[in-house]
Amino acid sequence: MAKSANIPRVVLVGLASCFGCQINITNVEKHLMEVLGQIDMRYWQLTSSDPMPERMDVAVIEGAVTTQEAKDTVERLRERADVVVTIGACANTAGIPGLALRGYDGRQQEVYGSHVPSLVEDDAIAPQAVHGVIEVDYEVACCPIDALDFVRTLQSALYGSNAYRRTSTLCGECKRNERGCFFGRETLCLGLVTRSGCGAKCPNLGRPCNGCAGLSPDANVESARKAAERSNIDVAAFDGALEIFNMTGLGEQRV
Amino acid sequence: MPSSASVRVAPLENATSALSGAQMMHANPYRPWPARITSIQQLTATEKLFEFRFVDERIREAFRHEPGQFVEVSIFGVGEAPISISSSPSKGGFIELCVRRAGEFTQRLHEMQCGDVVGIRGPYGHPFPFDEMKGHDILLVAGGLGIAPLRSLINNIHDERSEFGNVTIIYGSKNPGEVMFRDQFEMWRHRQDFDLYLTVDNPDDTWDGEVGLVTAPFAHLDIDAGNTYGAVCGPPVMYKFVVEEMRKKGISYDHIYMSFERHMKCGMGKCGHCQIGHQYCCIDGPVFNYWEAKNIQGSM
Amino acid sequence: MLYRVINADELPALIDAFMEDYEVIAPVARGRSFAFEPIESFDDIVLDYPTTLTSLKKYYLPARETLFEFNTGGSGEGIEAYELTVKPRVLFGAHACDVNAMNNLNLVFDDARYPDPYYEAHRKATMIVGISCSPTSTCFCHLLESDEVRSGYDLFLTDIGGRYFVSIGSVEAANILEAACDPREATDEDRGAFRKVTRARQAAFDEDIPHIQEIPMLMDAFHSDAFWDELGGRCLSCTACSSVCPTCYCFDIVDVLDPSGKTGRRDRVWDACTSPQFALVTGGHNFRDSARERVRHRMYHKLNGFNSQHGRYLCVGCGRCVRACKADISPIEVLRFFEEKGADDAE
Repeated sequence: MAKSANIPRVVLVGLASCFGCQINITNVEKHLMEVLGQIDMRYWQLTSSDPMPERMDVAVIEGAVTTQEAKDTVERLRERADVVVTIGACANTAGIPGLALRGYDGRQQEVYGSHVPSLVEDDAIAPQAVHGVIEVDYEVACCPIDALDFVRTLQSALYGSNAYRRTSTLCGECKRNERGCFFGRETLCLGLVTRSGCGAKCPNLGRPCNGCAGLSPDANVESARKAAERSNIDVAAFDGALEIFNMTGLGEQRV
Repeated sequence: MPSSASVRVAPLENATSALSGAQMMHANPYRPWPARITSIQQLTATEKLFEFRFVDERIREAFRHEPGQFVEVSIFGVGEAPISISSSPSKGGFIELCVRRAGEFTQRLHEMQCGDVVGIRGPYGHPFPFDEMKGHDILLVAGGLGIAPLRSLINNIHDERSEFGNVTIIYGSKNPGEVMFRDQFEMWRHRQDFDLYLTVDNPDDTWDGEVGLVTAPFAHLDIDAGNTYGAVCGPPVMYKFVVEEMRKKGISYDHIYMSFERHMKCGMGKCGHCQIGHQYCCIDGPVFNYWEAKNIQGSM
Repeated sequence: MLYRVINADELPALIDAFMEDYEVIAPVARGRSFAFEPIESFDDIVLDYPTTLTSLKKYYLPARETLFEFNTGGSGEGIEAYELTVKPRVLFGAHACDVNAMNNLNLVFDDARYPDPYYEAHRKATMIVGISCSPTSTCFCHLLESDEVRSGYDLFLTDIGGRYFVSIGSVEAANILEAACDPREATDEDRGAFRKVTRARQAAFDEDIPHIQEIPMLMDAFHSDAFWDELGGRCLSCTACSSVCPTCYCFDIVDVLDPSGKTGRRDRVWDACTSPQFALVTGGHNFRDSARERVRHRMYHKLNGFNSQHGRYLCVGCGRCVRACKADISPIEVLRFFEEKGADDAE
């Protein structure tokens, strides 16, 4: 979508999230001005109060859809933008807000008793990933996102890229870091089913993968469960850990 | 004393070496050479024919291709893509690439204008056996974009028409609007250079060609099988059915040539992306004869 | 092959001599496993390491390597001046399988038609010193003709008890060996010891890993067997196998823009045929759309495809993928499948 004559108009919208991904974008101070120099930043909740424009080239969405208002917002963004980019686990998989999915019905009564505020009653909806509501063109994975990964994805959206988006899972990247496997130490790790691309940062720092990049579309959860079993890792614990970032994504792969 | 080893890549304007074009290309086969778009022709809603000329005279001189070969085209920042050459080697100084807008790379290429510069390296691949085909009848079968590599062969044959016997082209498309190079082919048919069967799956009111699969015209094809070479290119599902028809007509296994599509990423038999069984589509192919193809696991 | 004998206590002097002019890479302990890394001194080296987690291929074919740099805005061709320099280095302590693996990579990259200047630069600046080993429970190099190495090294050291039987493969290494140590002619006793250690190694392989004849032909014959559904059905699509494999050389070529969007570089990065998108073409057709086809293709290339091109197995039986694959997919499983097919009570 090269707009050689016009500077591409970009908006960044935050939904249900901790805003940490947006903060992370501001953290690439070194390159932020270079990146902003390539775009016309029309709307960024975190930094300005300008109104949302009528048309835009790229809409960047952070956070999960948890309200009717948010659902209307992303639908409107899809209509107004040529390209939609979702950033972070909350937007891509419903992430932490998605945890509310289990036992969602009746939760409002549980919290508010018989007097559920009308704002909550009328607006709250079961959490969804953005791609559950609209078609998404690019996803920047993880919790939080890697800001440079975001910059590269934004550039792909602006200038095009024929690099394919891999759905392989994490262990290959972990092995490139020459790391032994947590499974060998009977320690739970979600790398076996989690989408690659992050460079296996956590395992490289000695922490098992918690699955924040989301389940790969090619994840073989059944085979991973068997692998866990062979390594004396509790399969229920494996399934439980997987829910943290994949409540909405497990779908039919759940037993 | 041990010494370090190095690889240098220099911009062309700074290249002061006395190397020939061939030596320059051989020294670092990963380096693309600047080529300027000198003509763009819109063929269909989604296909354009680009003409490219290498900017550097040495490269232009050294670049020689054969029908069925391909090049790797670069748009820096976007990436690189393998594209088969559609022009005949008999015409020097330029190459033509027929490109369908199908992904981000081709989208960007379609947005380019005459005068814009891309990078090109190559040519790569095992070509059609043009010299071996001389003196024989030729049966060419193309499906959809498969006409792109075959056109290189068709044009080459046309330029040396007296060297060949009867030449028959069967070219199938989904819709009439997707038929490429139709005027040129019709003209050659009119001049009785070639027998031409154009066929579409979904005809419209204006369509006066055949209707049905690309195999349909075989029913009324009268060929001298013992003296015929076949050449096939099209979507993956097509090969099996077309070569079957050619076999039924009696064309020998090793006289049926087909050009395969795979993702030739490096073009030099290394990166592995285009492997079919034990062969590399980029250096062992993309043109294989049917006998070779039968011996490759997963070729068809 | 020219050979000499040195005493084991001369080895530190040899390493010191290398370290004067070369970066020395050797097996070191890393956590609970072993890795090839640059060393500071002889004491870092674990001479009797069982196997390393990953292989030496990273020193010839780095996981990410820049081919050239470019700009996107200018009116010129876009190529920027770029130089890759590889400093002289010694890969010390390679086992026979790993030297054979490098020899296999050479067959791919040292190609007269399309020389690979990047690979060649790494290779040219590198010396290889091999060392003998004892098989681990996952080693099957002897079944794939890779337990012995006849070329591809500068020196190969065989431990014959308190001394090393040294095969000398290059003038450069011979000079350093002669300057740093006191290499002597082998005696009948040395030769006898050499014979004994090679025999002992041969006897130490795990006999449960079946020895199969005509593997390439079997790979063709059983290409459509349901076995591949089962094996592929287990695949996690993680590509750990190819990351640790010393002979997986497949790569991708990608453009990476700098944050400015004005400059960038073209990199080649390791890729894997077990990655779901590996055989995807523009337009969306995937020529190996299932894990079954991808796992089978990987095994096919290792145990058949490379043979028909180069006359030897690509797999060298190092066993790294056996350990790395959490789904227990490895060439050993393929050998076991063939063994079952040949059992007296097989259907």
